[in-house]
Amino acid sequence: MKAFRFIPDKCDICRKCEEACAMVCGTSEKQSGKHVPHIRICQGPQGPFLRLCKHCEDSPCVDACIVESLQRGPDGLVIQDESRCIGCFMCNMVCPHGAMKTIMSKEKAFKCTLMCGKTETPTCVYACDRGALFFEDLRAHNNRIRREKIKELPKR
Amino acid sequence: MKQTKLKRSSRQHVIIGNCIAAVSAAETLRRLNPGDSIVILGDEAVASYSRCLITYYLGDMVDKKHLFSHSEKWYEERDIKLMLSTRALKVDTKNRFVFVSAKGKKKKISYDTLLVATGSTPVFLKSFPYDPDGIIGMRNYDDAQRLKSWAKKGKKAVIIGAGFVGLKSAYGLVKHGVRVKVVELLPTVLGRMTDTEASIRVRDRLTKHELLDIELNNSVISTRRHGDKYMVTYQDGGEEEADFIVASVGVKANTDFLEGTDIEIDRIISVDDCQKTTAEDVYAAGDVCRSRHAVTRQWIYNAIWPVAAAQGRVAACNMSGQNRRYEGNIPMNSVDFYELWVTAIGDVQVEAQDIKEITFKSSGIYQKVKLRDGIPVSFMATGNVDGAGMIRGAIVGKTPWDEFIRRPQAQILPVVNQTDI
Repeated sequence: MKAFRFIPDKCDICRKCEEACAMVCGTSEKQSGKHVPHIRICQGPQGPFLRLCKHCEDSPCVDACIVESLQRGPDGLVIQDESRCIGCFMCNMVCPHGAMKTIMSKEKAFKCTLMCGKTETPTCVYACDRGALFFEDLRAHNNRIRREKIKELPKR
Repeated sequence: MKQTKLKRSSRQHVIIGNCIAAVSAAETLRRLNPGDSIVILGDEAVASYSRCLITYYLGDMVDKKHLFSHSEKWYEERDIKLMLSTRALKVDTKNRFVFVSAKGKKKKISYDTLLVATGSTPVFLKSFPYDPDGIIGMRNYDDAQRLKSWAKKGKKAVIIGAGFVGLKSAYGLVKHGVRVKVVELLPTVLGRMTDTEASIRVRDRLTKHELLDIELNNSVISTRRHGDKYMVTYQDGGEEEADFIVASVGVKANTDFLEGTDIEIDRIISVDDCQKTTAEDVYAAGDVCRSRHAVTRQWIYNAIWPVAAAQGRVAACNMSGQNRRYEGNIPMNSVDFYELWVTAIGDVQVEAQDIKEITFKSSGIYQKVKLRDGIPVSFMATGNVDGAGMIRGAIVGKTPWDEFIRRPQAQILPVVNQTDI
């Protein structure tokens, strides 16, 4: 399965990914009418980091959702039926990645459901011109890293 | 290579109960045993719905369409036999029979494996006995319907107990224009979820509504009929008239029909890690049985939705012959009142010498983490609850706090960076 990969060193927090996400599949806030993105780039002490749903295999949010708003789709992604959400924030309570976007004024929680392109490049990745965000098969990526690490090992 | 055809078993799996534990078990059973027959016995007249949502339904925050999570079509598609208005009366674990009363008629249903997922019912005391005309609990669809109809004519309600269900019901009732008074014996609201500071914040937010009143450190000592109303006498001597009363002082597991069997019950059913009871081929899941504390490994009563869902699944795997164990969970809950969110994870009220507290307080946010030997054991937040799950991950994973706060993701928590976000 494809997943997001983020390279913090290349990100300069231009927030183009957030803008694109907000425009295409973001959620509008009740009070301000502003569109809120599901992807979030946060500034940490050691550089930027990404807050985004990882579509975990053992997804605790699906178990915790009391309204069956969060469900596992047929393609393995964790999808959301926003109309069902009542804003109990049980999902936010169990998500180990802090990926749920809780919008207080709307009394709902939102997350990335890859609505903008499950097969093609997602909007945020498309918008990133710094080369910091990728959407790819992580298995291939991990294998590449493994091969590089093996090469670095001292020869016996 | 010669292929041998798998022998089709035709066992009968019977599930007593029809909420999330039963439904998730039935779904798993069907997936693992396509040929077996599955029977669900529900004592209510309606198909499965989300029990946590009935207080939201009372306040018209969800409609019927969203309340009912599984339609009768859902059962048909999976070839699950659903028997509604069917109450289990007795279980014969020796000869493997469940005696039921189905719509008034008595029946005997045989089983190969049995799952008890009957949940719990509200507790009533002598000072406020159950009365179908005006003193009820808030546990099922019927209760919500009755309260909704009473709210139309009644003008005043008394809710006994300021726990999760009590406050949520009060929140729902004031939306119908009913004047509500909540009486709580303890000095804090929301029971085990809060401390004094968080309790004050929740109470202030709720009582901002002119129809809602919360009285702490008080209790109801008697209730009596007074015309078509009820006269409530409080411990502090006060008396008050109410149109109806909601009891929410606690729940007890529905195990009455298991009396006289070899199933070990200590108020709740004693199950092992595989959800097996002490009787052969009898399993239990959900609010009716105990579960493990994921960190301390002690047996606790953790009646929450995710535990019931997971227990149902684990029980179904074991009923199908697979050996699976449930790793347990920690007590947790999350709720909102007028856009004030409260999330409590772990043993929030634990007090001991070796417990260190880290708090963050601002006008809108209150967060508190408790550490034992440098490892977080509980987290409570009101106002801003964003990213609470990351601390839950640290509690369950026994991650030292010093290590946790060095993670970039942790910086979004006000309790970590000590700034108002």
